[in-house]
Amino acid sequence: MNVIEINNLTKSYGKSRGITDVSFTVEEGEIFGFIGPNGAGKSTTIRTLLSLIYPTSGSAKIFGKDCVKFAPEIKKQIGYLPSEVFYYDNMKVIDLLKYSASFYKKDCSQRIKELAEIMNLDLTKKIDDLSLGNKKKVGIVQGLLHEPKLIILDEPTSGLDPLMQQKFFELLEQENKKGATILFSSHILSEVQRLCNRVAIIKEGKIVTVEKIKTLKENNYKKFKIETIGLVETNIFQLPGVTKLERNGSTISFLFKGNINTVLKKLSELTVANLWIEEPDLEEIFLHYYEKEA
Amino acid sequence: MNIFLHELRANGKSTFIWSISLIMVVVLFMSFYPSFAKDAEAFTKIMEGYPETVRNLLGVNLGSFFTILGFYCFPLTFITLCGAIQAMNLGTSIISKEVREKTADFLLTKPVTRTKVVTAKLLAAFTSLVLTNLVYLSAASIIAFQVKNENFSFKVFIMLSLTMFFVQLIFLAIGFMLSVMIPKLKSVLPVSLGTVFAFYFLGMFSDTTGEDAKRYLSPFKYYDTAYILKHAEYEAAFLFAGVVIIIIAVISSYVVYTKKDIHSV
Repeated sequence: MNVIEINNLTKSYGKSRGITDVSFTVEEGEIFGFIGPNGAGKSTTIRTLLSLIYPTSGSAKIFGKDCVKFAPEIKKQIGYLPSEVFYYDNMKVIDLLKYSASFYKKDCSQRIKELAEIMNLDLTKKIDDLSLGNKKKVGIVQGLLHEPKLIILDEPTSGLDPLMQQKFFELLEQENKKGATILFSSHILSEVQRLCNRVAIIKEGKIVTVEKIKTLKENNYKKFKIETIGLVETNIFQLPGVTKLERNGSTISFLFKGNINTVLKKLSELTVANLWIEEPDLEEIFLHYYEKEA
Repeated sequence: MNIFLHELRANGKSTFIWSISLIMVVVLFMSFYPSFAKDAEAFTKIMEGYPETVRNLLGVNLGSFFTILGFYCFPLTFITLCGAIQAMNLGTSIISKEVREKTADFLLTKPVTRTKVVTAKLLAAFTSLVLTNLVYLSAASIIAFQVKNENFSFKVFIMLSLTMFFVQLIFLAIGFMLSVMIPKLKSVLPVSLGTVFAFYFLGMFSDTTGEDAKRYLSPFKYYDTAYILKHAEYEAAFLFAGVVIIIIAVISSYVVYTKKDIHSV
């Protein structure tokens, strides 16, 4: 089942900003990454899904229902964490969370306590007195306290220290295991790489590609670096699929695309002192997509 | 209901301060009444020296000025002005404060329709005004009975006092409409003070000419205290005008707000 289904969604603001013909689907139980640099249209897409802004053309469905027409009904099952969190300053954290919980017709007090404990959040403080990171924690608890079926995160990690990010990701993974679908927007590739099954890459308001993270990586090169004992002829690695063949003293390095066994066979003929086979990280793939288009 | 209560609490402090201020103004003015009434004759002579236009400008009507009700009309002008500012502030901040404090994202991603959000907020503002008026009215009544030197019609006193409430409702609606229509309202005070004072001065000058048509320009002139003193009733045409303004402002705000894009800041 598709939890989110976006069809040719377009939102124009007059000049250059906005999104054009965005289409993708997020399946139930997925952690779906949505990546692109600042201003590419991630937030616009998300805000349209939440019917904070209305589409110029095209449509989006959440849980199979039109996201504008059935907005209030859909939102019962959505938890949203915006990139910038600001809450009623003169309220205490616990009061804000209770206010937030009062919109969902269930008792969330137990969950609030649990989440606050995991995120190490002081419930008795005034929101005014919180640091950015702590405000972000309020946002996280606020977005998850009603155990939503769909969690929408818009660049959620800014302001969180690495330790908290780690806890937050664990929390998301737990929610995901319990059945929640997650849409995770970010411009930080490593966190998307760590969490998501599939990603949509957006550029200047248009979707460039929707791929499994695995495929994205598989389709790409492996980086080989070999240190040999004794000098070896470089051209022994002149194989189909090898590029950027270089030698530096006793180390040989190259990029390879294809069946990895052919390289391994060659390697077995050599006396190897050290060997590195590296995956290119998502960063390089991402740049690849952006350069190709430019 | 939760939004209503939240808003009511958020308005609480300002409602309290406004109520206290209004009470202080009325108590201060009315406590002058006894000594003032004593020197009525001398004072009348002085006032007769002024041209009628100036007397109208000040809101002084010599025929009734020395009765307690007539005297009450004098501070009431200022109190109504203050009340209008309070109402306008409330109205203008209803929607714009969510944008300014960046809490619109929070509220509007909850499972509620925008119509419900607006209704709850409007009702909360309305309730704040009702509370202000109740508190004010009780205080004003107490002080009036304390300083009176002769019996007066309590009904007319209430009617006079209620004009503030009516003016407030009009400005609440106008402020609300402005806050929805203006795309990004950075700060409430300049807009609300500006509007209220513009109407106030408009009213003052339309008053000097005595033409009825011009009175429609300013909500401050919809409820003529001299008329109420004389007839113990409101002018139907102006009551109607007030209701029309409120209905138009509120309905158009609903329509615009439910279709509006809420941008991140």
